[in-house]
Amino acid sequence: MHPFDRAFRFVLPAAAVAILVTILSVGWLTEPDRFAKGYAPEQPIPFSHQLHAGTLRMQCQYCHSGVDKSRHAGIPSVDLCMGCHKVTKADRPAIQKLARIAQTGEPLPWQRVHTLPDHVFFDHRPHVNAGIACQSCHGEVQTMKVITREMGMRMGNCLACHRDPHAALPAGSKITRGAEHCAACHR
Amino acid sequence: MKTRLPDHGPVEAPRFWRTLEERVETPEARQAAHDEFLPGAVPAYDDVHGLPPQSGVSRRDFLGLVSAAAALAATVGCDRKGQGTVVPYTKRPVEVTPGVANYYASAFQEGRRVYPVLVKTREGRPIHLTGNDEHPGVRGKTSPRAMADVLRLYDPDRLRAPKAEGRTLGWTEAEARLHGALQAAKAAGKPVLLLSGAVVSPTRKALLADLKAALPTLEHLAYEPAAGDAAEEAARASYGQSVAIQPRLAKAKVILSLGADFLNGEDPETLAAWGAQRRLKSAKEPINRLWVLEGPLTLTGTNADHRYPVAPSRLAALAFTLARELAAKGLPLPAGANLSALPGGAPADVPTQAWASLVKDLQHAGRNAVVLCGAQMPAAAHQAAHLLNAMLGSEAVALSPAEPLATTRDLEAAVQGMAAGRYAAAIFWDVNPAFTYARAAAWKEAVAKVPLRTWIGLMEDETAAQCQLVLPENHWLESWGDYATPGATVLQQPTVGTLYDTRQGEDVLLGLLKALGSAPAADYHTYLRARWEKAVLQGGTFEQALHDGLVKVEAKTAALAFRGASVASAERAAKGAEGFELVLFPGFAPHDGRHANNSWLQETPDPISKMTWDNPVAVSVQDAQALGIQEGDFVTLTLEGTTLRLPAVIQPGQAKGVLALALGYGRTTGGVAKGVGANAYPLLGLDPATANVRPGARLAKAGGRKELSRTQSHHRMEGRDIVRSLTMDEFLHHPQGHHHQPELVTLYEEQKFPDHKWGMVIDLAACVGCSACVVACQSENNVPVVGPEQVAKGREMHWIRIDRYYEGELENPKVVHQPMLCQHCDSAPCENVCPVNATNHSPDGLNQMAYNRCVGTRYCANNCPYKVRRFNFLEYTAYKTEPETLAYNPEVTVRPRGVMEKCSFCVQRINDVKIRAKGEGRSILDGEVTTACMAGCPSDAIVFGDLKDPKSRIAQLVTATRAYKVLEEVGAKPAITYLADLKNPVEGGHHAN
Repeated sequence: MHPFDRAFRFVLPAAAVAILVTILSVGWLTEPDRFAKGYAPEQPIPFSHQLHAGTLRMQCQYCHSGVDKSRHAGIPSVDLCMGCHKVTKADRPAIQKLARIAQTGEPLPWQRVHTLPDHVFFDHRPHVNAGIACQSCHGEVQTMKVITREMGMRMGNCLACHRDPHAALPAGSKITRGAEHCAACHR
Repeated sequence: MKTRLPDHGPVEAPRFWRTLEERVETPEARQAAHDEFLPGAVPAYDDVHGLPPQSGVSRRDFLGLVSAAAALAATVGCDRKGQGTVVPYTKRPVEVTPGVANYYASAFQEGRRVYPVLVKTREGRPIHLTGNDEHPGVRGKTSPRAMADVLRLYDPDRLRAPKAEGRTLGWTEAEARLHGALQAAKAAGKPVLLLSGAVVSPTRKALLADLKAALPTLEHLAYEPAAGDAAEEAARASYGQSVAIQPRLAKAKVILSLGADFLNGEDPETLAAWGAQRRLKSAKEPINRLWVLEGPLTLTGTNADHRYPVAPSRLAALAFTLARELAAKGLPLPAGANLSALPGGAPADVPTQAWASLVKDLQHAGRNAVVLCGAQMPAAAHQAAHLLNAMLGSEAVALSPAEPLATTRDLEAAVQGMAAGRYAAAIFWDVNPAFTYARAAAWKEAVAKVPLRTWIGLMEDETAAQCQLVLPENHWLESWGDYATPGATVLQQPTVGTLYDTRQGEDVLLGLLKALGSAPAADYHTYLRARWEKAVLQGGTFEQALHDGLVKVEAKTAALAFRGASVASAERAAKGAEGFELVLFPGFAPHDGRHANNSWLQETPDPISKMTWDNPVAVSVQDAQALGIQEGDFVTLTLEGTTLRLPAVIQPGQAKGVLALALGYGRTTGGVAKGVGANAYPLLGLDPATANVRPGARLAKAGGRKELSRTQSHHRMEGRDIVRSLTMDEFLHHPQGHHHQPELVTLYEEQKFPDHKWGMVIDLAACVGCSACVVACQSENNVPVVGPEQVAKGREMHWIRIDRYYEGELENPKVVHQPMLCQHCDSAPCENVCPVNATNHSPDGLNQMAYNRCVGTRYCANNCPYKVRRFNFLEYTAYKTEPETLAYNPEVTVRPRGVMEKCSFCVQRINDVKIRAKGEGRSILDGEVTTACMAGCPSDAIVFGDLKDPKSRIAQLVTATRAYKVLEEVGAKPAITYLADLKNPVEGGHHAN
């Protein structure tokens, strides 16, 4: 094969593809939160954080009780909801649906709003134990009628806070930095 | 690679060597040591391997470019929305917090052995096993096969519903058929055969007694093909009953093994006692001495202080001669021992001086000496061992009465009964006689004459194929049970609900009892609990027993009277025919065949031969030379009309004239097991006294070669100062030998470790090479299985391997085992060369690996002096679906194709402890962080800890006189310190007592 032939048939198209891909990638990468913010899918039960966490001032940990014991904050089990809703607003259609689920044991598929790739092992425990408010990452949940994503869950956002955490930490906290080594989150 | 053995003594052979190629220094071995990856791992235009050059962009490069572009695009997509659903519990069990592991005590049975275990479960799924530390014997340790058995729970080949003649049916219909047949048998007074595994469970025994009462014609046989018929036969002759023999090595100063492989990882209690004596810090501590007389090289033989290759048929004569010499020195000869027929003089098998030392050693140690005999050795050798222990009055062995096991003789009687149409029905419960019985054709013919054949088991096997009614059984992690062990009655509890429409075998029998008009309990749980409350708990609660997994009982040491032994039996065993002596032993991975479908075990290298996925016949160096056999050559093995064609390996240290072959391979069913290796059961003898040692075998080259899936030739370190082995004499006088501290010059800045510096110490003197750490790591870290073809290409993925080094003569080398894993070097050579900084150092001393950053250049593996980095050449995990994926540890990333991986020091465990300690406002305690390999090591050879904590166990150990670092002169500053191996031979023939 003639060298020019090869250049035109392989090297040039390959180079063009590579350049295009680079441009596109850099374009997307410089707008990191493009996809993330404002994601508010419709949930199987129209649960309002505004009502429960805002108006009724329920503690986040009343429902997300795993947050200081486990990596995962956890979604409350249906029987926890029914603890109140056996009596409270039992006539609402959504609560009736909930009661039916509690009785039959059929799955309640909440749409995932905050998610991380499989190779990231975020742990709620040290963050909550350091006194960081849930709102620092999850936004003003107590004002959300429908839970909406506020933060882009990208490594840049994690590191920004780990390098300068004072805004998220309570006043008087002795912590000056978070972990920055790979194995803290990737393993 | 062809191996040519040296004619007489190599000129300048390396002191330590791992393969015959290395010892003989073939050009291929030298080239292979030079190349990082085996041929095929590098693109085809690489000229190193003389492959034809290609023009233009290769397929591999093109795909590389495309996937790089795709990966870049995917980076953007990392933060995508619509990630599916989160489904909460409807009713959360109080003990479950999603993301937090729960631990339950349970137990696993293999033959007569019981392993009390602790089961780690996540969101209700068992994912990892360790020993139960409440048990006084095993103290938190277990066996490699027990650990690997969690994989069998999720085996996709498991039977999911009852079947009759291949048609799936419900339990009601299946039970109606079974009950009908047995009710008719009872009415007609016709015998019913029940064949099961060993009965170690007191409650199962009670249930079988109930069944026998309700069905008086029931004939029950407990059959364990790997238990060794000869051991059973000899115990009956010596003590008049079945006996379980448990070594008590803590009390042993001198151990003589007659082909006994008591260090092979099956017995965590013995390994713990061994490790405790061998982890020597100073000369003041006691250390035992191990003498080994054996045919094939066993793991115990590799740990011997003195080892002599002897044909197994000679063992009895040798041991009886030993008894005579000890008697001549004044040790009492028990009544009933008849040594008159023994030929005079010292035996020719062992050098005269060594023989004299052995006699003296045993005599001096007296009660603290013990003679152990291998289960597969001839019955006469067992009887001689019983005699010697009685003469010595050995306190280092505990005898306890055991439930009798059926031998081939009993089985042969059953076969004849079946052939004669004696039985109305037969039930095969958790046994596979169609595979394990030597005369498979006769078995098949006989079994067909039984009107109703029922099979109860986990995965359809050879026996299930011969039965009309096939009933699926629970895995033991889904079942109730109990076991009698020395010192404790162990409780087995289900740790997960049944995955499929299965029942445990005991529940099938209870259903049968009900149909026969007796109803002791509704289900086995109720039955067991009632029995426990009546007979076991003794005031304690069942809940406490569930928590502890056991109830402690006084260890019974029954004084079993030795009845005598006769030399005549030894002559029967020794009566050699022409040809080779073939030793058949249970395979390390499949055991008797029951684990053959477990890919973790199949891929764990055999501790001696380092073979995976196969059972080649092992030939001695001398015989291989005489027959012109080279490694991997196909040979035909002929014995009494049965011929097998299989590859051969040359085994240094194996006695001349002896062939060794593993049982349990060559299964014809099972997605993993089918077609792996050759079935050696047809070669088994029918005389229980010598079933596993067969004279008269013939061996011939069959033409052709097989590429062996063998790991020991991979990842060479080019014969540098890697393993150190000292004798006691050297340890006392020159512990550092001629090794001197190299002067380390570095261009790099010293690493700073502000809080912790994780490190590890591995004591080579305590490590026996059992490979429990390999399996523990595989389970903890989601290490993929790659299969025999990939292993043959050097692509096995184990994060920890055990390097086995030979030293000295080919005919009888000394052996050192060295666990090798990522050394977490302070100046890690891999970190410097990574173009994308995917591997770098953490502030607590870990060489961390970010998979999501790795682009797969493999520079790091190329630059690693320890050869511990593993590359995902192919996609080993993505195709996996449930139930296989349920076995994963959710705390560790499942790696895709194209990334490098390696030992992480179980960083998920470190992080978890760190976070918990911080939450509780305290510092991390010494010993709080354990790596999976450390927790799995039965001889406590591995210690992990914080080097910054001066009071930690590890900080003390790194200053030991035996401490050294592998390849310290390279200057990588590894975080792992090894303690030199220690052997305790008799010095210059005199005694240091």
